[in-house]
Order: sequence, then structure tokens, then C-alpha cells
Amino acid sequence: MTLLNSNQKMHTCFKRSVYLFPKHEKIIGSWAILIKYRNNPSRLNYMLEIKNLFVEVRGKSILKSVNLTIGSGEVHALLGPNASGKSTLAYTIMGFPECKVTHGEILFKGKDITHLPIEERAKLGVALAFQNPPAVKGVKLSNLLKRISRQPINFKDFPLDHSLLEREVNVGFSGGERKLCEMTQIISLNPAFVIFDEIDAGLDIMNLEELTRIIQDKLINNGTSLLLITHRGNMLQFLEPNVAHVMLNGEIVCSSRDWRKPWKTILRFGYEKCRECKERELPSD
Amino acid sequence: MKSVENAKSASYLQINHEIRRILAEEGIILMPSPEAYEKLDWIRDYFDEKPEEGYFTWIKKQVDHPISTCISISSSNVHQNLRNLIIVENNVKTEVYSICNAVKPSLYGKHVGHSKIILKENSVLDIKQSHKWGIEDDVLSSTEFILEKGATLSSSYKCLTPPKKSKIEIKTSLDSGSSANLEAAFLAKNGDAEMHDSIFLKGDGSSGIVKLRMVSDENSRILSQSKIVATGAGRGHIDCMGLLLSKNSIINSIPELLNTNKNAVLTHEASIGRMSEEELNYLRSRGLTEDEAINLLITGFLGEATVYKPFLPLKESHM
Repeated sequence: MTLLNSNQKMHTCFKRSVYLFPKHEKIIGSWAILIKYRNNPSRLNYMLEIKNLFVEVRGKSILKSVNLTIGSGEVHALLGPNASGKSTLAYTIMGFPECKVTHGEILFKGKDITHLPIEERAKLGVALAFQNPPAVKGVKLSNLLKRISRQPINFKDFPLDHSLLEREVNVGFSGGERKLCEMTQIISLNPAFVIFDEIDAGLDIMNLEELTRIIQDKLINNGTSLLLITHRGNMLQFLEPNVAHVMLNGEIVCSSRDWRKPWKTILRFGYEKCRECKERELPSD
Repeated sequence: MKSVENAKSASYLQINHEIRRILAEEGIILMPSPEAYEKLDWIRDYFDEKPEEGYFTWIKKQVDHPISTCISISSSNVHQNLRNLIIVENNVKTEVYSICNAVKPSLYGKHVGHSKIILKENSVLDIKQSHKWGIEDDVLSSTEFILEKGATLSSSYKCLTPPKKSKIEIKTSLDSGSSANLEAAFLAKNGDAEMHDSIFLKGDGSSGIVKLRMVSDENSRILSQSKIVATGAGRGHIDCMGLLLSKNSIINSIPELLNTNKNAVLTHEASIGRMSEEELNYLRSRGLTEDEAINLLITGFLGEATVYKPFLPLKESHM
């Protein structure tokens, strides 16, 4: 309540100042933003803020009032049954045109990216590792990396068969090869925020361990924020997310700072229980 | 141009109507077609009439380096009328890189080139033809491959910088046990492109594959006719794919199979469509702009550009 009062006072003060000094509206505006962040310093460190987001895909409402805040360097997990809207959220953050935002906004490092094209978001540092990346015929992985890389890749750090570099992207790749291909591209982009859309799907435990090691070494240790969309506890065990969210029917129904709590509930009672679980911590925003 | 001038085994360079360089090492005869027509009686059967210009290459012996030819238009309103003949002797394996181009975009040039390429018994030829034209040029190019017993041909034709109008004809006849692998990738933009290719499987055990990749960009029309005729017990396949990039572009693809031998097998597959939105979005999510992503997908669709090997300076020439 204190913060709300302070914000209200600041808003009144801002309006009066603009009235008195209309030519200096921009300067007063910047001052007001600084005061606002001083009252809530953590906002300066937000990597991603999603506010009251509603999304339609081909006229069908998929996401409903999604609120999500991911801090700089934080790892968040997003759990949910099939068709609950997890991938739609990933595609919406990345800016895919078929995901139409009907309400709400997406801020990345404080900048409104809700209506930015895909490549602009990628250039700002948003990256998405696809669950089912498409085959890109005729384009060799080495050629693609040459065009997109923002940092040199040390292939010794990847359990990557080098012949893969000379093959067409995702053409005839096995499940494991596709994941490694995604991972190599993501790291070459040197992103600030990565969404992993079920990167663990179809991987055996050894490969999963190897993949999480790379995520830890190359991304988390470098302060990259992550949103892990997953169905598997193993992934969470390896990467220990700061917050775990549960999505049901396009809504985030639970957000917990202890990922084990919702995970245990899901294991014991299934996802639907999350809706009525007494221990749930609703999103703070 | 440099690659032609530095060719080690043999090279031919013609600009407009003038031969600027013609060199060959031992084992290769390379001379202008009109001169060859005068000097060598036995090659006259390969020409319909006395050629005005062009080259004759006779590869008599195995050489370690590729043969390169370059025919350019560098002035306005030049009309080239070439007759080329390449003969690869028995059991000889060779590579030919051939470039035809206009050095400026608006020269209003006309390039007519008829090539006959004879692969004698058990010879192997890898030929790469690359065309690059100006937006006002007119091109008519025909190539006839004749494969004798056991010969092997690998041919690729590429034209990613198209003229206003182009008509390409490729005719291949195969004797027993010979095989031909033909690839053609071309783009049309603000103009018309026609491709007529035909394979004649005359001998038993012969095989012919044709792989076409076509991109029709804005305000363009592509007509592609691919035909395989089997009289011998051979195998043939047509693989034809087209990409439409614009609302005002047309691709008309006509595959045709004609089989008169019950032991021959002929197949074809053809598709024409638009660029995949999913692939585009995928590449854009890696930071490529829409135009960059489209260009990358087109390059991939048409196949990577031919990589020319670096040539060493020619030590001696034998004409």
C-alpha cells in the first residue's frame, strides 16, 4: 500500500510539474521513471515482464490473463499438460505472427516488445529453442551458424558430431541431434533470455545430463535468464529453477519459489490438482 | 575471369566475339570451332553448318586439372552465335567449368550457344555450367550430351542472375551401361525462362536422373518440360520442384515419361509451392531479417553456389 500511495503522489507531482513546465515534459518524465524504480529497485533488473496477456491463435483464445516476471539471471520453469498453452506463450514471446496479442503487454529489459517483429526481438537478446524445429533444406548448419553467430563457438564444448555441421539443418536429424543443433545455435546467438520449449523431450538420461551441463556452463553461469518449458522433473533437478509456474487452460494457476512443491503435487495428483491446491503461491504481480 | 586465365590444363576466354585466351596442355586439343571445322574433316559431322564462333575441345588424355571456359558479353547489343564441341576420349575422366555471362546489367546482349558433348566409352565427365546475365539480355542455350557405352556424366547448370528471356535445352542420349545425373537450378525475375530437358535411355542398364529447382520471383514466368524416353531397359527419374515467390509469377511444370521397354522403370515427382512460413519464422528467430531469411532459403533450395577450385598458373600450352 505504501508503494501505491507513493506512486499516486508521484503521479500527481508529475502532472503538476508538466503543467508548470510543459516544455520539459521529457526531462520530468525521465525523473519520474527513476523515482518509480527507486521505490521498486527490482524492476530495473527485470529481464521479462508479461502483463495481463491475452492471446488468440486462428481466432481461438489460448492465453488468458497471463502474468509472468522473470528477473535477470533467473531460471523459471513452466509446467503444464499438453495443449495448456505453454508453446503458445513461447511463440508469443518470440513474436510469431499467428499468435495474436489481443490484450496486455510484453516488456523485455523494460522495453515494450509486444508488437516487434521476430528478428527485432532476437536482436534484443530473446531466443527460443524449438521443441520441433523445422527442417531447412539446402542450408548447412555450418552456413547458418556463420550467418547468425554473435560469438565464436568452441565445438569442443559440445558433444556434437562434426559431420552434423556439414548436413542440412534438421534434415534427417535424430531427436538428440536436433536438440544439439538447437543448443549450438542458441549459444552462438549469445542471448540474454532463452526459452527452452521441451528441450528435454525424447532425450535419454545421459544426453539430458550433458545438455543441462551445457545450459549451466554456457548460459546460467553467464547470467542468462531462462524459461524452461518441460514435463520432466529430471530437468528441474539438474537446473534448480528459481521459480516454477503451472499453466492450465492458458492461465498460470500457480507460481512457487520451491519447484518441488508443485512438482510433488503434479506427480501425486496430476495437473488439475494445482488449480485447487491450498499451498499454491499465486503470481506476485 | 581470373580462374579462366590461370587454368592449368586448358582454358578458353572469349569476350564479345574476340578470343582473348586459348591455352591447353598436352593431351588436350583446344581451338576455335571455325578453325577446327577447317582443319579436321572428321568433326564436320558434329556441326550442322560451318560455325561462326565457339570452341572445340578434344580431351585425349587424362589431365589432373579442370578445363575452364568463359564466354562474356561486355558491350551493348552484342549477338553471340556459338557452336561448341567437346569430345572426351575412351576411359578419360575430366572436369569442365563453363561460365557464360554479361559483365553489366543493361547491355541488351543476345547469347546463342549450341554445344555438343560426346562422352566416349567408359569416360567420365563432370561439367558445371554457370550463367549470369543482365536484366535486358536474351539467351538461347542448347546442350546435347551423347554418352557411349559405360560413360558417366554429372552435369549442373545454374543461373541465379537471370536474363529477360532465356530458353535452355538439354538433350541427353545414353547407350548401354551409361549414366547421367543432370541438375539445373535457375531463377526468373521480371522475365521468362524456359527449360526443356529430355533423356533418351537407348541402351540396357542405362540410367538418367534429372533434378530441377526453379524459383519464380516477381513478374516472371517459368515453363519447364522434362521428358524421359526409354527404349532400352534403363531407369529414369525426374525430380522437379518449383518455388513461387510472388503473386504475379507463374510456373508451368510438365514432366513426361515415355516407356517402350517393359524392363525399364521411369518415375517422376514434381511440386510447386510457396516458401514455408515455418522455416521463415525459424530463421527470423535467429535474428535474420525476412529478406535475409528468404535469400537463404532460396539459395538452399537452388543448391549452394558452385565452388570453383583455385587454379595454378599455366606452365606451357600445346595447341
